[in-house]
Order: sequence, then C-alpha cells, then structure tokens
Amino acid sequence: MRSRISTIISGHFRSWYRSKSNIFWTIAFPLLLIVLFGAIFGSGSTRFDLYLQNQDLNANTPTPYSQQYIGVLNDTRAFNLHIVAAGQNVSQALDFVKNDAKVHNRGQRLLVVPVGFQNELITTKNANISLYIDQSDQASQSLKGIVFAATNSYASHLSNSTTSIIVQQQDLVTRNIRYIDFFIPGVIGMTLLTTGVFGAVNTNGRYRELKIIKKLATTPLSKVEWILGMVGYQMILATISLVVILFFGYAIFGVTVTIDIYTVGLVVAASLLFPGIGMVLANFVKEAESADAAANAITFPMMFLAGTFWPTNALPEIMKAIANFMPLTYINEGLRDALIYAEPAQALTNTLIALGLAAFFIVLGSVLMNWKEE
Amino acid sequence: MSDDLPASLPGQSDKVVQVDKLSKKYGDNVAVNDISFNLTKGEVFAFLGPNGAGKTTTVEILECLRNPTGGQARVLGYDVSKRSDQAEIRKRIGVLPQDFNAIDRLTVRENINYFGAMFKHQLDADKLIELVDLKDKRDEQFKKLSGGLKQRVGLAVSLVNDPDVVFLDEPTTGLDPRARRDVWGVIERLKSQGKTVFLTTHYMDEAEYLADIVSIIDHGQIIASGTPDQLIDSHGGKKTLIIRDAGEEGLKQLPPGLPKAELRNAGDIAIPLHNGELTNILMSLGQTPLRDKEIEVRRPTLDDVFLNLTGRRVSEEGN
Repeated sequence: MRSRISTIISGHFRSWYRSKSNIFWTIAFPLLLIVLFGAIFGSGSTRFDLYLQNQDLNANTPTPYSQQYIGVLNDTRAFNLHIVAAGQNVSQALDFVKNDAKVHNRGQRLLVVPVGFQNELITTKNANISLYIDQSDQASQSLKGIVFAATNSYASHLSNSTTSIIVQQQDLVTRNIRYIDFFIPGVIGMTLLTTGVFGAVNTNGRYRELKIIKKLATTPLSKVEWILGMVGYQMILATISLVVILFFGYAIFGVTVTIDIYTVGLVVAASLLFPGIGMVLANFVKEAESADAAANAITFPMMFLAGTFWPTNALPEIMKAIANFMPLTYINEGLRDALIYAEPAQALTNTLIALGLAAFFIVLGSVLMNWKEE
Repeated sequence: MSDDLPASLPGQSDKVVQVDKLSKKYGDNVAVNDISFNLTKGEVFAFLGPNGAGKTTTVEILECLRNPTGGQARVLGYDVSKRSDQAEIRKRIGVLPQDFNAIDRLTVRENINYFGAMFKHQLDADKLIELVDLKDKRDEQFKKLSGGLKQRVGLAVSLVNDPDVVFLDEPTTGLDPRARRDVWGVIERLKSQGKTVFLTTHYMDEAEYLADIVSIIDHGQIIASGTPDQLIDSHGGKKTLIIRDAGEEGLKQLPPGLPKAELRNAGDIAIPLHNGELTNILMSLGQTPLRDKEIEVRRPTLDDVFLNLTGRRVSEEGN
C-alpha cells in the first residue's frame, strides 16, 4: 500500500516539476506578487500612524490647549492621527491600539494627553504628555523627533521660553506589522489554495478524461490510496511553497516569522481542504476544461475576499460576512496569527476551524468521487 | 487462499471468461441484453459491433468497473459481482481502456513503472518496452509520442502485471492504417505468447485478422458467434468473381449462361460464385475479350456478415 501511495505522490510530483507553468504558478507567481506588492506598499506611507488619546476634557469637550496642541501635531503633516476614546484607561487604550493597529496594519504608537494638561500649563507652565513607543520600531526615532519638535514648538508658542512640556517616553514592546508582514502569510494561503484546488481538479478531472483513473480503478489501487497519494503530494507542494516564500520574504524584506505547531496544522489542513474542494468541483463539472473554469470561479473571489491582499476587517460589512464563509479566511488568519502575530490562542481557533473544514471537504470529495464507472 | 474460492480457478479451468445471460440497464435503457459467451485460455476473442452496441459496457462489467443488473459473469473463475472476488480479478487482469492516455509528463518507462507499482509483482519495464517495440522512445515523455506510439505504451501498461487475460477496448480506434498495423503486430505477439486477449472493436478487418473467436453484438444482443471462417461461411454469402474495370462494355461481352452479374461502382463486374462453378466460368471468360482484364475471386468478409445480419454496414467511425 505504501509503495502504491508513494508512486502516486512521485508521479504527481514529477509531472509538477516538469511543467514550466506549474513552477510559475506555484513558485514564481507568488514571489512576483511579493516583490510587486512589497515594492508598492512595503515602503509605507510618508506619514507616521500615531494613535492619540486626549484625556484633557472639559464637559466632554477637549480643552482649548489640548486641542491647539493636537492642531500643532497635525500641522506637521507628519502624522496620520487616529483618535482613541478618552474614557479608557491607559491599559485599555493600549489594548485598543494593539488590536486596531493589527487590523489596519499600522504601527503601535500611542500619544496620551493627560487629564489636567491645560490646567497644568496655565498654573505651573509645566505639563507632561506620554508617548508609548517601541524602541525596536524602525520609525520610532524619526517619529519621536517630530513629536518632540512639535511639542517644543507648541510650548514656545504659548509663552516664549517659560513653558515646558515634557514628552515622557514609555517603552512598548510591540510587533509593528508592515504590509509585507501582513502579505506574506496571505500569499502562502493563496498559493495553498490555488495549488490545492487546481491540483485536485487537474488530477481528478483531467485524469478522468484521459481514462487514467479508469485504468487505475482496474488495478488493486483503492480510491483511499489514490486520495492519500494526492494529499501527500499536496503536502509536499505546500511545504515547498511555504519554505520558498518565507525564505524569499526574509531575504528580500526581512520578514521574520514564528513557525509553530499551528503552522504545521494549518499546512496539513490546507493540504486536505483545498484538494477536497477541488475534488468536489471535479465531480460536479465533468469536463476538465469546465472544471478549470469552475476552479477559477471559486478561487478568485476567495483570494480577494478572504484576507490575502487586505484585512477582512477593512471590507464592507456584506463582504466581511461573505469572507466568514470562505475557508481561505481561516487559513490566512491562522497563518498570520501563527507566523506573524505569534498569537497562539487565535491561531488555535483558526487551525481548528480549518481542520474541521478540511475534514468536511476531503470526506465529501472522497464520497462524491466516482472511482468506478457507476 | 481461502476455501470458499470459486471452483474454476486459473489453471483448473480453461474458461477464462464465462458470461451467462448478462444484462445491464440504465433506467429504461438496456445497454446489454441477456448475453452469453465464453472465452477459453489462449484465445483472442473479438467482441465486434458498432458504437453503442454494448461492447464497452460488457467489458467494463468484466473489469469490475460496472455492476451487472442481471445474469452472471466470471473472470478467471471469480464472480465479477462479488466484492471479495473483484480484488482477485484486479490482480490478474490487464486492461487497456478505450481512449486511454498515460500520464503526459512521465516518460514511457516511468509510465510503465507507475502503473506496474499498483501491483504486487510487475514485469520488467524494459522487456515490455521491447515487446511493444518502443526501445528508442523509452525516455521520451508520453505527451511527445504519436497516437500509434501512445497506444503501444497503453498496451505495455496493460501487460505490466503479467495478466492471465488482457482486455483491450477499441485499441486501434482513431489510428492511421500504419499505426493500426503496428498495434496488430503487438497483439499477434501476445497471441504467439499464448496470452488470452479480449478485444472489442468496430473494425471488421481487425476482428477477422486477429481473432480466433468473434461475437457480433448489436443493440445489446449477441447476434452471431464463431470463428471468423464459420461466421463468413454461415452468414457472409457467396464468393464473388470480380472482373476489374470492365464497365458497361464488359457486361455486354459476358458469355451467356453465367449467374446474374452486376456492375459495381468502380466499373467492376461482380459475378456470384456457386460451388464448383469457378473453373467453368473462367473457361468461358477465356473465350471473350474479358480474358485480358484483371480477375480476382473475392471472399466475403465480416463486413458482409454484419450487413447480412443487420441490413447495414458499420462506418469507419464505428457508427
């Protein structure tokens, strides 16, 4: 049995590496996307994302001094300011920043204008503001410099040299996610999707058309062995894609990742899930050419809606709801949680959902697959 | 082996295939209707008929790809309807499905080894390559081969487990005449090695050339069986004397007292021959200007058998 399965795997694998178009779509295309998207979005905005919490309110309205200070920051045109609700304490505000920054691929940097900011400036001519920033953040030095300069400028504007505003720097240990960090797991998910779905459509649709499956069904090979061979081949392909993409991401863009048990689980899930979907498709669409078109119809919307190129949270509500029904969403988010965010709890949830979907589709695909001619 | 195996095991019975009142229905459509025949060890058996006659359905029942809806069929003594027997049948048969293609990007040798690995024991790929005369193409990818060469790879693949019986479903359909002859050559070699071959075809000449036994199937029913000679003798009609290119003028030059002659499309004159008449007719033709024409005696073929039995001919495409 083992020899039959390994023969199926090696047959698929040989066919794969002997096809230039297979190599292109599995390896070269994802790398090309990484280079293109990395070059377009990798350098990021010329403005720094900065979260700002203004706690200095008077009857729920920012005090004039705090408002003027924020105006000065805005006038530097160096920041995209994102307002954090004033009612939250610092820890809540930092939590909010962490989550929101992840959703929007922003750096985690928070500037807090404290309660009594205006009062202190009027009465003592001294005030403190807090800047929460990660020293390892590549943008931290520039951002800090601009905040300091803007603050000094505002202080001197208030009353020549007598007023002082001290920016208290609070160290934050964060992982600032660049677009490319976000994109790499998406490309891996997309590659697993396309190689899995198209691979299964090809081997089950085209091989059926060429009567290869009919021939195999007259030998001692069983349907289960055939499917195990196909899944084994998909796992090898998925591992190659993962290694190549991660290596490339690291070599060109310095993307570092954490590979853990969830990554393995997600690769296994994807190697079952996407071929399973392909098998279901190949069963319903008998001609190989139509099956290819059906595979395109399934994979393209999934690629764009399931968080490959941009976060699903950034989608309109209706699209977001659709994304929740797309299996690729859980692979993409799981891979991001595992590889980039190092969030084991969320990675576990996504891995379990992906494994559940994988079990469903591979069983459905196997049951539907016509091994004999009946 | 277990005790409850069927009585007629390989080597214990000469009946390699036994089909008894076999039927296959798809809803109201009867694809195979109550057919019976046997195939004896070492024979080349041709299942002859037009497209849609029920040939492939029958052969696929014997290959355990389809279940019969009535009757019984045994291959090598094993019941094709029994799951446990099917496993035994699969180990011992060789199959070339209709329109089979091997894996495009594997070489000839890799393809043979690929399909060979599905069996516990496989024949040496190089010997099979030699048998089908593909030594020069051994390391060529399948997709680069011509139709005839592809079909020879299919034949090698069907023999890879050294089967007790080989099922070849329309092995020469779509091939040019030369490629067909090459495939016939391989089947002849199998025959000379004593292999049992079950061949389906719509080519009358193929069945006549290769088969020891022919069963003609039409609309799901077997309408005649026997050796090609038996079928021709009993259903082919009379031999015909042909005078080439004689034309209308030739008809007028025929001596009196001959059987009724007819003019055929190319200007040939055809005279039906009754037993013992040939010498007399030739002697009387020798007295006429027709003696200078090319004369041949045409034996009826399976084409004539099919025409006489069904009232129609099978086209080159099998319709």
